[in-house]
Amino acid sequence: MTKNFRLILILFFLIFLNPIYVNSCDRAYNPSKITVAGGSITEILYFLEEQSKIVAVDLTSNFPEETKKFPSIGYVRNLSAEGVLSLKPTLVIGEDDMGPPDVVNQIKKTGIDIIILKEEHSSEGIIDKIKCVGEIIGEREKTIDIINNKIMPIKIELDNLSKNLKNQNIKVMFILTMDSGSPIIGGKDTSADGFIKMIGARNAFDSFEGWKPVGTESIIDAAPDIILISNRGAHSYKNLENMHNHPTVKYTPAAINRNIIALDGMQMLGFGPRTIETALYLSKKFQMIENN
Amino acid sequence: MLSIINLKFLNSAQSFILFFLLILLLLVLIVSFSLGSYSFPVLSILMGNTSAIEATIFTEIRVPRVILAAIVGASLSVSGACLQGLFRNPLADPGLIGVSAGAALGASTIIVFGSSLTSAFIFSTFLLPLSACLGSGLVILMLFLLTRGFGHQGVTYMLLVGIAVNAIASVGIGILTFISSDSELRSLTFWTMGSFGGITWSLLIPALIIIFISFLFLLPILRNLDILQLGESEAKRLGVNVKSLKYRIIFASAASVGASVSLSGMIGFVGLVVPHLLRLLSGVNHTYVVIGSALLGSSLMVFADLLSRLLIQPAELPVGLITSAIGSPFFLWLIFRINKI
Repeated sequence: MTKNFRLILILFFLIFLNPIYVNSCDRAYNPSKITVAGGSITEILYFLEEQSKIVAVDLTSNFPEETKKFPSIGYVRNLSAEGVLSLKPTLVIGEDDMGPPDVVNQIKKTGIDIIILKEEHSSEGIIDKIKCVGEIIGEREKTIDIINNKIMPIKIELDNLSKNLKNQNIKVMFILTMDSGSPIIGGKDTSADGFIKMIGARNAFDSFEGWKPVGTESIIDAAPDIILISNRGAHSYKNLENMHNHPTVKYTPAAINRNIIALDGMQMLGFGPRTIETALYLSKKFQMIENN
Repeated sequence: MLSIINLKFLNSAQSFILFFLLILLLLVLIVSFSLGSYSFPVLSILMGNTSAIEATIFTEIRVPRVILAAIVGASLSVSGACLQGLFRNPLADPGLIGVSAGAALGASTIIVFGSSLTSAFIFSTFLLPLSACLGSGLVILMLFLLTRGFGHQGVTYMLLVGIAVNAIASVGIGILTFISSDSELRSLTFWTMGSFGGITWSLLIPALIIIFISFLFLLPILRNLDILQLGESEAKRLGVNVKSLKYRIIFASAASVGASVSLSGMIGFVGLVVPHLLRLLSGVNHTYVVIGSALLGSSLMVFADLLSRLLIQPAELPVGLITSAIGSPFFLWLIFRINKI
């Protein structure tokens, strides 16, 4: 009786209150056919070797290369309810930018299990996310094993490197794109800010929030030691050589000392397993730069 | 240059306003040259005792940026004034004949497809402005062909074709917006709000030349534009070559607006409102309105860019946002004030 009552209560909450941020990591009723909305979640399912459960992915799921074989439900922030449901999933897992909210509510109303994961831009956040996905698909023990074997060693090494005070003095500027005149740069409370903190360095622009265009004079004034840019953002500059000579960054210590680094965007800001590996790679690289 | 402008058509109030606007522009320029997010005394630069980095910031970053703001402001306002005169329609602005939309389409194409195209080019910094210029050029060519040399059935027809061409360009931009990624979308959005960031001398000088030549084409015909206000057939009878007037205004506007928009992104409002401000102040004489538009347009734009650089530094506000924010309430105030009198 009480069990049924609890079930009714949960259903009531799911159907009528429609909280967007569910953030529960309870095991799903039937995780056998999953539609994924969010690149990092697809990455995690592959990481846990549970990719056979995936039936469809969104456009931000582009790693590993193989994900292209799945049907696409469109862009994570602009989904359509029918599209998501068309492959008859038993479970939908989405990142917290999954939307629009009305569509998410529509999907919930159909009674399909839909879980939206919380996003936290830190290595702990990544580990929590992996754990959460593991619990949802009912593979708790296996997930903890994989985390302990594959992620924890990286995290421990990264934490040790981050404690090194030298890296704290390195000012990093994260450029999203440079196509619209002034480059668009990650400020406080962005995924880029979280990523820079993971590396153990300092964001050169933590005086404003969000992604904003920044003028050349301010960039010179901030004097970043290292510039990070996504491959897509750097695409206009055939190679990094041109990028170093671009007028907006030319006079920064980063360009003068040839420390502009371009990597895949999702690899840095996806906050899946790859992000933590990339943070360690960059942390080591920064240490070398600092020592030279 | 004065020989091609006939200043005798100005009355004393208009001459005074123009003189005042010239002083205003000089003041705004001086303030803009001396302030920026990287602060240093400009006087020391002029005297030559300063660090290398400060001199570089001044000559390579601040000066070209302020000059770009000034010429973009001037070219948008002057084209607006001339097009309003040509179409005898107070709502005409450079956007109306589709130049801005064409430029936007060109720029968006590069923002979205740039990654697959750029491998063939070395001077990628030039690619976006070039493509924007090409876009506005194509729109004008289309307009020219559709209206059989701008002549067919008078200016109203051309206005309608302009609107249609505009809509076609918007569809292209819409499709590009739809297929763009997150970061590309952000670039597109900020591009449509305008920015003078990232300008260099090598980009500025070609634009400067194009805009200067277009102005030379426009200046001798300002009196004819006055006569055109009587109507096309009356103007013809009074000896005005209406066809050549059309050609001059449309090609000069397209060239100067195309060159501006390709470097600054879309900055609305200025081209529409600045000429009206001058008309509300002191009459509709085109010699006065067009020259005044050049001066007031540049002052407004340089001032807006100054605010864009300083208000939320180190970040930047899009300049198009500021031109509308300071211009529109002032415009409303002016309309109500004039109505009271």
